[in-house]
Amino acid sequence: MKMSGTTVEDSNPKIDEKYRHIYVIIEHFEGHVVPVSLEMLGEARRLMDDFNQKYDLKEKVVAVVLGSNVRDLCEELVTYGADCVIYANHEVLKYPRNDIDTRIIAQIAKDTELIKEISPEYQSAFARPRYMFFAADNTGRHLSSTVLAELESGLASDINKLVISDLEIRHEHKTKGKTIRYEKILEMYRPDFSGFLWTTILCLDNKNPEILREYHPQGCSIIPGAFKPIERDRSRKGKVIEYSPEGYQDSKIKILNRKVVKKTVDYDTSKIIVSFGRGIRENPERNIKMIEELAQTLGAEIGITLPLSKKPYQLSQNFDSKYMIPDRVIGTSGSKVAPRLYVAIGLSGAVQHIAGMKESEVVISINTDKNSPIIDESDIFINGRLEEVVPVLTEQLKKQTNIISMRSN
Amino acid sequence: MKQDLLNVAVIIKLEPDFSEGNVSYNSDGTLNRAETKNILGPHSAVACNAAFYCKVRYGAHVSVGTMGPPIAESALKQAQILSDAEELNLYSDRMFAGADTLATAEVLKNGVEKMFGGNKSDIVFSGHRASDGETGQTGPQTAWKLGYTFLGNVIDFEIDLDRKAVVAKRMISLQGMDTIIEEIESPLPVFITIDPSYKSNFNTVSQRLTANNFGKEARKHSESSGQYLKVYDGKKLELDPRMVGLPGSPTIVYKVEKIPRAKANRKAEIVDPSNPDNLAQVTEKITEISRG
Repeated sequence: MKMSGTTVEDSNPKIDEKYRHIYVIIEHFEGHVVPVSLEMLGEARRLMDDFNQKYDLKEKVVAVVLGSNVRDLCEELVTYGADCVIYANHEVLKYPRNDIDTRIIAQIAKDTELIKEISPEYQSAFARPRYMFFAADNTGRHLSSTVLAELESGLASDINKLVISDLEIRHEHKTKGKTIRYEKILEMYRPDFSGFLWTTILCLDNKNPEILREYHPQGCSIIPGAFKPIERDRSRKGKVIEYSPEGYQDSKIKILNRKVVKKTVDYDTSKIIVSFGRGIRENPERNIKMIEELAQTLGAEIGITLPLSKKPYQLSQNFDSKYMIPDRVIGTSGSKVAPRLYVAIGLSGAVQHIAGMKESEVVISINTDKNSPIIDESDIFINGRLEEVVPVLTEQLKKQTNIISMRSN
Repeated sequence: MKQDLLNVAVIIKLEPDFSEGNVSYNSDGTLNRAETKNILGPHSAVACNAAFYCKVRYGAHVSVGTMGPPIAESALKQAQILSDAEELNLYSDRMFAGADTLATAEVLKNGVEKMFGGNKSDIVFSGHRASDGETGQTGPQTAWKLGYTFLGNVIDFEIDLDRKAVVAKRMISLQGMDTIIEEIESPLPVFITIDPSYKSNFNTVSQRLTANNFGKEARKHSESSGQYLKVYDGKKLELDPRMVGLPGSPTIVYKVEKIPRAKANRKAEIVDPSNPDNLAQVTEKITEISRG
C-alpha cells in the first residue's frame, strides 16, 4: 500500500518551508482570459499581500498558463496581480484536455528547478505550492479534481470566501484528539445547495503519529463571479517564465472538431427577466403557465432558482425540459444577470440567488412572506399569493399595451 | 467471460429526493435530512441510462457500484431497473464514513477493479455530480486513481468496438464565453461523467425492440436484486484503513454556519395586492420601465 508524503514531526518549522506561494490555474478561450481567472488572481493578490505582511514573508501569486501562442495573455496577467506567470507553450496545449493538462500542472507544482526563477530564496526547501486555485466551472472543476488526485492532497469545491489564519485544531484523526496549532491554513467557505448554509472546509496535514502525512497544496475551486479582480495596473512588474514540460507524454484525447452553439437562454440581452422559485409548489404546472403568460406579455426571459433545477415537481415533458434546467438558474451556480427589471416570483432570495440578480436596475417581488430575504433586494414587494397577483398583473399589462398600441396607431 | 465483450461499470449514489412531497426543508430553508427520503440520484440515473445504451447497442455487460450504508442497496436496485445490470456492488463499511472525495475515490477505485470477476472495465460511467454534495469531484478523482482517461460533460457517445475507442461529444461552457460542443475520440478504457442533458437514442426498430426486452428483463431481475448483490467491506476491497474514511481524507469540515443575511440593498415599498388599484400602480411602473 502506498503512503506518499513524507514523515512530519509535530510543529516542525521545516515543514512549513516546503510549501510556498499561491498557484492560480488560468483558463482562457480564443485568446481571452476567462473572467473567473482574473477574479481568482485578484483574491490571491489580496490574500498574499495580507499574508506576507502578517508573516513577514515574500511569497508570491503565481499564475499557471497552458496554451499555444498566448504570450500576450501572460503579460496581461501580471497587470492583474500575478507576480510570476509560468507559461507552458505548446501546440498540443491549444485546447484544454484533462489528461495532459493534469500531468503538466502536477509537474509544474512539483518542479523544484522552476522555483529558482520564481523565488531563489525559497529554493532549498521547496516541495510544492502552499495553495492552489482553480475555476469552479465545467473544465476547472474536473481539472482541479484530477490534479489534486495526482498530488494526493485536499480540495474543496465551489468556494466563495477565503481566509488565511492560524487555528487551534482538535480532531480525532488529524491530531489524535490533541489540540495542535496549525498555521497559515486556508479557510475555504462553501455555500451549500440550499444557499442558506456555509461550510468551512480545511485541508490539514495529519499530525497524528499513526497516520502521519502532509497534505499540500491546499486546493480549491472558486465560483465564477464570487470575487472581484483588482484594478488593472499596467505599470505592475512581473516575470513570465516559459516552461517546457519534460518527459512529455501526449494526450490520449483527440479533438475531432469544435463547434460554437447558441445558448438555450440568453440573459445578456434581456431587458426584463421573470424568475420563479419553490413558491409555485401548490400547482406547479398551472403556475408556470401563469408566469409564462406574464413573461410573454412583458417580452421577458424566464429564470429559475437552483432548487428548481433539481426537478422537484412532476411536470409535462415540455415544461420540464424547457424550464427546469440548469441553463435557467439565476445565481452563483448559474447566470449572473443585470436586466432593467427583475420580477422575482415565489422565491425567498437565498444568498446564492441574490448574488446572481442584485445588479438588476429595478426589482419587483411577489411573495407571501414579508420576512423572506428577497425583500431586502426589492424595490417593490407585493405581499401576496402569486396565484392571485400574477394573473391580475398580466391582465392589466395587456390592457396597458393595448392602450399604448391604440395610441400609437 | 468473453474476451471481446464490453464491460461497462457505473458508479452511483443514494441521494436526498428533492421532489415535492418527499423533500423536507427546515423553516430556515435548509434541508431536513431526517425527514427527506432518499433515492437513486438523478445524475446517477442518467449514468445508468448510458450503460443501458451500451447493453442494447453493443451487448455490454453492466456492473453497478456504490459506496454507502446498507440502505444504499435500494439505490442499486433502482439502478438495476434502469441499466439491467448483471452485477450490483455495495461498498459498505463503517470505516468509510466521513470520507471526503479523495478517500471516496480510493474506495471506488478498488471497487471498480473488483468488478467483472477482476476483469478490466472498458468504460466507467458516473453522474455529473451529486445533488446533495454537488462537488463533482469524486468521478474525476476515481478516474485518475484508476488510470483511466477522463472525459467530462459528455452529452453523446458511440463506441467503435473494432478499434476499441469511444467517440464522444462534450459540452464546454465557460463564464461569459460561447458554449462549445467538442467532438473527441479516445481509446478505451475511459471514465465518462455524463451530462444531465444526455438522452439515449435508439434509432432502429431492432434497437427499440431490444431496449424493450432488456427493460422488461431488468424489472424482473430487480425483483430479486439480492441475487445480484455483492457486499464488500474494506477488507474485501483490500483497502488500507489509513487511506479511507476520515483518516484518509485530506480535508475536514471545520464548521457549518448559516450564511449571514446580507445588508438590505434596497428599501422595498410594500404593496398590498388585495386592492387592485395598488397593483395598477405597479403595472404602470412596469410599463414605464419596459418602455424606457
